[in-house]
Amino acid sequence: MEKYSYIEKYFEGNLSPDEELIFEKLLLEDSDFAEAFEYEKNVKKAISLNERAALKQKLKTFEKSKKSYKWLSVAASFAILIGMYTLTTLFDTNYDSLYKEYYQTYPNTVSPTVRGETTDDIKSNAFYAYDSGNYKEAIPLFSEIYTKDGDDYALFYKALSLMEIKEYQEALRNLNLHDYTKENTFTPFFRWYAALTNLKLKNTEKTKQLLKVLTQTDNPQKEAAARLLSELE
Amino acid sequence: MITPKNVIDLLKKDDEKTIRKLYDENKKGFLIFANRYHLDAEDVLDIYQDAVIALIENAKKGKIDDLQSSVSTYLFGIGKFMVFQKLKKEKKTFSKDDFSNLEYVDEGYNEDENNIQVILLQHAFNKLGDQCRKVLQLFYYEEKNLDEIQKILEYSNKDVLKSQKSRCLKQLKDLTKEN
Repeated sequence: MEKYSYIEKYFEGNLSPDEELIFEKLLLEDSDFAEAFEYEKNVKKAISLNERAALKQKLKTFEKSKKSYKWLSVAASFAILIGMYTLTTLFDTNYDSLYKEYYQTYPNTVSPTVRGETTDDIKSNAFYAYDSGNYKEAIPLFSEIYTKDGDDYALFYKALSLMEIKEYQEALRNLNLHDYTKENTFTPFFRWYAALTNLKLKNTEKTKQLLKVLTQTDNPQKEAAARLLSELE
Repeated sequence: MITPKNVIDLLKKDDEKTIRKLYDENKKGFLIFANRYHLDAEDVLDIYQDAVIALIENAKKGKIDDLQSSVSTYLFGIGKFMVFQKLKKEKKTFSKDDFSNLEYVDEGYNEDENNIQVILLQHAFNKLGDQCRKVLQLFYYEEKNLDEIQKILEYSNKDVLKSQKSRCLKQLKDLTKEN
């Protein structure tokens, strides 16, 4: 038998007791043979280690896919925490900046700004005060008109004047006096400014609710409402 | 019905579903057992994975074709043996009774002891052609004899296979010298 066949038979586990003796003898006396055997042992080892490493990798993915669920729930609770943090702390300042970004003094669209000829002309005087930025002066005038005539514009500009002087609670109370079921030209603006006032007062849920209504119908504030809503969500 | 033989046959084919099922089903029990010995949790998981690997390896080698016990029992035995070795290595005290009747004999290669040739061979092996990888993998890893390999790879005769194996061994050696 050719001598290298002994190595082959060794790996096949086929050496007879007699052959085993010859094999041992060759290992001791034939350095080329010993080297060839050593090489094949290393080949076996290398292939085994590769196979084991590949399997190990696979088993580790079993663990990973389980862990990732855990990780996801951890991540989710973190997201909630961060969300709460953002809402409660970061947004303390952000509400203000958002408010500032979105709040614009509503222009006088009702009455030309000329001082009333007479003191009786409350409406003209109110708008004159409003347009001049004398909100404190404008408030009682709009209030008077509203009490007398119940006009939406009077309530609206009264509320806006209150917003201008940072009386947000009072502004909101007035904005809420509007009959929202009427859906007249002022209604979307009542909603918009009520949303902004709520934002300023950190009633985010109420803000979002109002903004959502605005995004659902066609109105002048639809786009702005959608933008602000996306910033809040 | 799922018999141990079915499971072993599927393990031989590297059937991922079977491996995963076996892995998941036996893990908890093994961890409970191993936790008695105050081993590092990471080490225990490592041992468990090695035990699963050894099980698959032995299935491929045909060593458990006539397994009398269930595959889970056999896997547990391997894991137990590996815990025993670990405890010995870390010189921890343990009750010898816990580890009586250990049948499994580990063919573990200590990776710390690997010589440079093994490392070179590990890299070179992946550069071999498909056929060479198959032949060598079947012969050295799955411990199939040439007759079996001739059947599996459909060689017309054994001598062709023999010379193919020699060529592959030489090619592999040459590849280790390239770097």
